[in-house]
Amino acid sequence: MIKLIFTRVMHRLQLRESWIIFFILGIIMMTFPFLHIFNKPVTLFGFPLMFLYLMIGWAFSIFVIYLFMRAYSSHNNNPDEKKDV
Amino acid sequence: MNTETAHAVTISILYTALIFLIAWYAHRRKEAGRSIVSNPIIYSLSLAVYCTSWTFYGSVGKASTTGIDFLMIYLGPSLAAFSWLFLLRRIIKISKENNITSIADFISLRYGKSLWLGALVTIIAILGIMPYIALQIKAVSHSFYLVSGLQINDITFEGLGSNTKLPIGLILALILSVFSIIFGARRLVSSERHEGLVAAVAFESLIKLLSLVGVGIFVTYGLFDGFTDIFSRFKAFDPAAFDRLFTFDASNHNPEHVPTFTMLFLAMGAIMLLPRQFHVMVIENSDEKHVSTAMWLFPAYLFLINLFVMPIALGGILTTGSNSGADFFVINIPLVTGNRSIAMLAFLGGLSAAAGMVMVESVAISTMLLNHIFMPIIVRCTPRTWFSVLLINLKRVGIFLVIMMGYVYHQIVGDSYMLVNMGLISFSAAAQFLPAMLGGLYWRRGNKAGAIGGILFGSLIWFYTLLLPSFSKSGWLPADLLTDGPFGITLLRPTALFGLSDMDLWSHSLFWSMLFNISTYIICSILLKQTEQEREQVLKFIVVYEKERTSRQTETKRLSKPVTTSQFVTLMTKFIGEAEANRAISQYTGNREINAEGTVSEFDLPNLKRHTEKTLAGSVGAAAAGAIVDSFLSDMGSRMESVYDIYSTVRTSLDQSRESLFVRLKASEIINRTLDLQIIMDDLLNLLLKEFNLDVAIIQLKNDDGTFTVNSYQGANRRPINVNHWYTESKPYFDMVYRDRKPHLLNDIRLASDVVPLELTLSEGCISCAHIPISREGEPAIGILSVFSKSIAGLFTEEFTSLLSSLSGQLAQAITIVQEMRAKDLERDQKELALLDNARVIRDMEIAQQIQLSLLPDSAPEIFGIDLAGRCISAAHVGGDYYDFFRRNEHTVDMLIADVSGHSVGAALIMAEVRTLLRAQVNSAHSASSILNILNGQLYEDLTRAELFITMFYAKYNSASGRLSYSNAGHNHPMIHRAGEVSCIELDTEGLIIGVKTSVVFEERSIELISGDVILFYTDGLTEAFDIEGEMFGNSRVCSHLGEVAHLTAREILDSLYDTVIEFTGSQTLQDDISMVVLKIK
Repeated sequence: MIKLIFTRVMHRLQLRESWIIFFILGIIMMTFPFLHIFNKPVTLFGFPLMFLYLMIGWAFSIFVIYLFMRAYSSHNNNPDEKKDV
Repeated sequence: MNTETAHAVTISILYTALIFLIAWYAHRRKEAGRSIVSNPIIYSLSLAVYCTSWTFYGSVGKASTTGIDFLMIYLGPSLAAFSWLFLLRRIIKISKENNITSIADFISLRYGKSLWLGALVTIIAILGIMPYIALQIKAVSHSFYLVSGLQINDITFEGLGSNTKLPIGLILALILSVFSIIFGARRLVSSERHEGLVAAVAFESLIKLLSLVGVGIFVTYGLFDGFTDIFSRFKAFDPAAFDRLFTFDASNHNPEHVPTFTMLFLAMGAIMLLPRQFHVMVIENSDEKHVSTAMWLFPAYLFLINLFVMPIALGGILTTGSNSGADFFVINIPLVTGNRSIAMLAFLGGLSAAAGMVMVESVAISTMLLNHIFMPIIVRCTPRTWFSVLLINLKRVGIFLVIMMGYVYHQIVGDSYMLVNMGLISFSAAAQFLPAMLGGLYWRRGNKAGAIGGILFGSLIWFYTLLLPSFSKSGWLPADLLTDGPFGITLLRPTALFGLSDMDLWSHSLFWSMLFNISTYIICSILLKQTEQEREQVLKFIVVYEKERTSRQTETKRLSKPVTTSQFVTLMTKFIGEAEANRAISQYTGNREINAEGTVSEFDLPNLKRHTEKTLAGSVGAAAAGAIVDSFLSDMGSRMESVYDIYSTVRTSLDQSRESLFVRLKASEIINRTLDLQIIMDDLLNLLLKEFNLDVAIIQLKNDDGTFTVNSYQGANRRPINVNHWYTESKPYFDMVYRDRKPHLLNDIRLASDVVPLELTLSEGCISCAHIPISREGEPAIGILSVFSKSIAGLFTEEFTSLLSSLSGQLAQAITIVQEMRAKDLERDQKELALLDNARVIRDMEIAQQIQLSLLPDSAPEIFGIDLAGRCISAAHVGGDYYDFFRRNEHTVDMLIADVSGHSVGAALIMAEVRTLLRAQVNSAHSASSILNILNGQLYEDLTRAELFITMFYAKYNSASGRLSYSNAGHNHPMIHRAGEVSCIELDTEGLIIGVKTSVVFEERSIELISGDVILFYTDGLTEAFDIEGEMFGNSRVCSHLGEVAHLTAREILDSLYDTVIEFTGSQTLQDDISMVVLKIK
């Protein structure tokens, strides 16, 4: 089941549109309305909320790019590219 | 110099030596062909040149003063990485195809190799980068004071004299210059990758990451008890600061405060557009596949290096008590807590960050400086052999100059800005390239005017609103410029342009510069037209990526005067040295066909020119390379001129145009409409004249004797076609075309060789011509199609020639078909004629036969006591059989039967002659033998000449006496059937065939006939008739049949014999004539 979902996600990520959507989503997450949600002087588990939001969001976005690259290189079926990843 | 200083200096020198070793090793490995740099991890690390001492020191400084918004500088590139798969890869692909050397080169190439644009981008880059380099020098020299414990700005060398003082910043600048020159300007070819430099930068990236993370771990887990410990302690220490640092305050009017979005936007642009980023990302990229790894590895690097920035910043405030000097917390915290080795590690990290940036930046900028500022001036001079030496040294001077400018700016602006804010000035400058860059890649209409205008306006605003205030703030310019505006015009205050006050410096500058930049770019691009050169580049930058290359790329330009390969080599030698030039040319010729003389074909010349440009572009940039080659060509008296396409417009499309199809269609209509070759040829030539810019068109066809005949002549200069006609000058070309079966073009007759003078043609006004063989595929040519143009030199492109060839192929097909049809007609006519002749002959023969038959007696004479009948049945039309009767008196009758050999007309004529002679002789000669004798004598000559002879039996019957006297000249023996006798009596005498000897004695005999005797005279056709089995009819059958029918009349006997023979042979037609005469005695 997990494998099936994974394959589907991989397939979706090959679409150029997905890239653009994620790019725009990233920019939206960094604009004020969203930042405003986390723009509060509170701490969560001892971490400031904004610090957590930015760092976790950032790590997540890197992971998404990583997934993209996996999908892209498996789609292209290029041995060199796979080696790179 | 105290011990701490010596310590710091020693470590710095050792570290520099290590970097040097690494760079040298990478360079050696590359020379050996085993690159250590060409892998995605090194590539990602080299991209981290983005993290300079600004990151290393400045992030902490900013984190401790304005808070967490410093992260925007790194979140921007992470977001931008999403676009790399398409954007960056396309940029890399284009750059590699065109040997791009820098971002200025890239932008100027896109907008038609504009020299002005290249220079503008270079100047802005230099101005924009000054604060950035200054920032590095400031950071490193400051950190050096900290670790060395010096409190003054200079190192005093007491041994060298009284007051020899050297500022640390200057020493640093010099060291960095030397380093950059060694690894960045060893050779002129700047499109070549500098692996030593990249290795050094990647290593430094690794060191600064380890160093900052190391300091971070030391502070977070050494001095404090983890993240949450620092956060909670800081919250307890200063709750207000805690809230401020961990939230974005939009209402903050602190001029140092930069809104998050501005930072995000600037960082997103900077990651691609800063000259050094472009350099490591694009120019130093060894394989575009590395981009896909770098897309996540580089953001991960940024993430790691920033992970501990916040704890260090908070820890610094907790340790030192305030955020003053926060820019150097990274070094200060270990120092204050007494950890010198950690502080030294931090110092090395900072040094790495600064050195890497300065090296790459200076190399990138000096390349731009050389290619876009120096080269356009140099190319105006005549190339000399020492140019290559000059160029490389200019590049080295450029590196030095760039670093020194940074140092000077550092001296001027000094400490009036925080590190981060100095860097943002550079970012804003780089952002000015964004519209031209993105527009250039994705918007076809974007043109040179727009790009120059946009960048110029944008950067002017940037200079006025950002760079000028930075000078002013440091006191170098009067401060009232900021407060009152120039000349007291408050509306033009640099920090509140057009009354836009209460905005931070960077957002304000970004807004106005981008507004002017983008709107100028768009408006100029829409209003003004692109030049042809720009359209060519649009094709390379955009169109090829939007659709697959469907057709082979056809050259749209030609050289008006051919240039040889060696001339191009000589040109390149002057700029890049002989070895490089030869290598470039052999690389070019390696995959192309070169003809025997080592020259390239006319159609290949533009490719060679482009290759030369590309090779030179690798060293001096695309714009300069274009200018060099152009000025070289104009010196040669040659130039690039538009290739007129065959429809007399300048080509815009590379596809097979609709017009071309139209002409083909028209031509095939003409060819199929009629079978009249003359009409086809005339119409076809008129079509060519009408559709293309041609003035004369001639079709010549080859005659059987090898000469050419003009079969159609259309167009101007009509005059009688004779040997003095001007077109005959081209005879050598006709022969060559005929022999080679290949088109031959003279795109400019004026430049044609002297071997074949074409003066008359020229004086007729023709300046270009083409001769196309008229031939079907794989067959010898049957003629030549020649076309002349008076208006356009260089009309005959590869495409046009192939169109003409295809038309002449169609024509050849038509001509062949017509010729074949003619041949068939001729054959049929001849056959008809032969048939007609034959029929005439047959008719003649029939007439002859009729005449011949009429020569035979109609009926036998009526003599009392006998019944006489004769009949001749011819097998062929005429024959040589003859019989006759002569009635002498009422009792006497002469009978004869003869056979002239053969069945020819000759035989018939001889027979007629015999008849004439006989009729004359009958009255004079009386005996049978004498008649034969006379005949022989008279006919001998004629018969010998005609190679014929005659057999004849002559008999004379007297009914009164009942005697038959006879004489035989070799004829068949007549048979007598006598009632009651079984066998027949055969009559024979001695005598030769007539016509064998001149004089022959013919014996004459006689026999008495009795009543009931039936005598049959016959020719050999009767006895020699054979049946289907080949058996002869024979004498015995004749004799026995004669016995059976003896009671019948002579006529009936004849008929019955005939019927019997026909029955015997089983066929209606006879093999030979049969003549029979029957004499029945009553």
